[in-house]
Amino acid sequence: MAEYIKLIDLTKCTGCRACQVACKQWNELPAENTGFTGSLQNPADLSYDTWTLIRYDEFEKGSGVNWIMRHDACMHCDWPACVKACPSPGALVKTDTGAVVHDSKFCIGCKACIVACPFDIPRYSKKEENIAKCTLCYNRIIDGKAPACVTACPTGTLQFGPKADMLAKAHAQAKAVGGTVYPSNPNYETHVLYIMPAEVKLAALQHVNPDPKMPTTILWWKNLFKPFTLIGMGGVAGMAALHYFIKGPHKVEEKEEGGEADG
Amino acid sequence: MNISRRGFLKLSGGTLAAAGIGASVGVRTASAQPLKVRYAKEVPTICPYCAVGCGIIAHVSNGKVINTEGDPNHPVNRGSLCSKGSALYQIPNNDKRLDKVLYRAPGADSWTQVSWDWALDKIARNVKTARDKGFVKTNSKGEVVNRVENIASLGGAGLDNEEVYSLVKFKRALGLVYIEHQARI
Repeated sequence: MAEYIKLIDLTKCTGCRACQVACKQWNELPAENTGFTGSLQNPADLSYDTWTLIRYDEFEKGSGVNWIMRHDACMHCDWPACVKACPSPGALVKTDTGAVVHDSKFCIGCKACIVACPFDIPRYSKKEENIAKCTLCYNRIIDGKAPACVTACPTGTLQFGPKADMLAKAHAQAKAVGGTVYPSNPNYETHVLYIMPAEVKLAALQHVNPDPKMPTTILWWKNLFKPFTLIGMGGVAGMAALHYFIKGPHKVEEKEEGGEADG
Repeated sequence: MNISRRGFLKLSGGTLAAAGIGASVGVRTASAQPLKVRYAKEVPTICPYCAVGCGIIAHVSNGKVINTEGDPNHPVNRGSLCSKGSALYQIPNNDKRLDKVLYRAPGADSWTQVSWDWALDKIARNVKTARDKGFVKTNSKGEVVNRVENIASLGGAGLDNEEVYSLVKFKRALGLVYIEHQARI
């Protein structure tokens, strides 16, 4: 199956939160009790029951203050740190559509993905002892439908399509509006792309990683320490067997009399 | 069989290289849940919430609405919806919705549960009494107007297109002129 990309054109977002509601509706997620925070952002953060969220940031434009509304959800990395870190096979899976899918059946709730994620997306539920995150509506896209958030978006901010088309579209659109494409790290591609308006500085936005990359600690752990531990364990067992064949079983020799005095 | 220290280091180094410092994570097919709307009947409807009138597809399975989403073939919205329209699913499926008839008598401070038959009879009787009392056949110029000025109607935003059509027909037939909607107040 082809790889897909979700393109988020922030120059078009009006912050209507249709994507946020559509996500809850399709995934049958319950509402949350929220309060006033001084911002229009509601709920205040992603959670086990909120997989996508419109984040409201302010920036100065001319003499006034402007909003920048940002659809925040899983970025569906091409080389996902969460999948790399996950110790339970099948709990986090990178699919051939590009979507990184979580399966609660296999999840052991170890929270390794939460530590690994460069975008701080997975959320843990103490009650369910499980994590949850956006799945790019994997069951919809393999059936030829766009994700629920993209289907609902009334302004054309969210677009969905095959990888090559969307990449070309992203760069053409970014050029047309004088903005940039985020994330722009060629070594850490994602299946979600943003078109950032020119006047917005990435560092000023909340919950954005200006330089997303695979955490080095995960690479050390998974590619060096873990195989080394396995080699070590295998080596100990192998050497013990080798010793048995070469030297034979351990024989207890009787002590000669008149040795050390009992202590 | 003897393995020298050098040989052991070579072997383990080779295994490490095979594990690959930058090895990619394997691509797999996730065990996706089957699409919940695959065998559902699609019923087109109109979003009740505002005057834009976006098209919505209600997916119905075994007589229950199991999903609602924007109708991609509808010329008004072409599949998109706002946050209110996206939440339409909770109109038919809501555990906070009243499922019994409650009645508060004039002057009473509490609600009592009554039957549908009793409530409908009561409403019909009150409408008849009020209409008989307030029916205006002609205005001050002597023109025939046939209107009822002492009953007003307030519609709710959860009423859909077809429900509103039949309700307004009914109210106009009674002669009502004060017909309002919650969304305009």
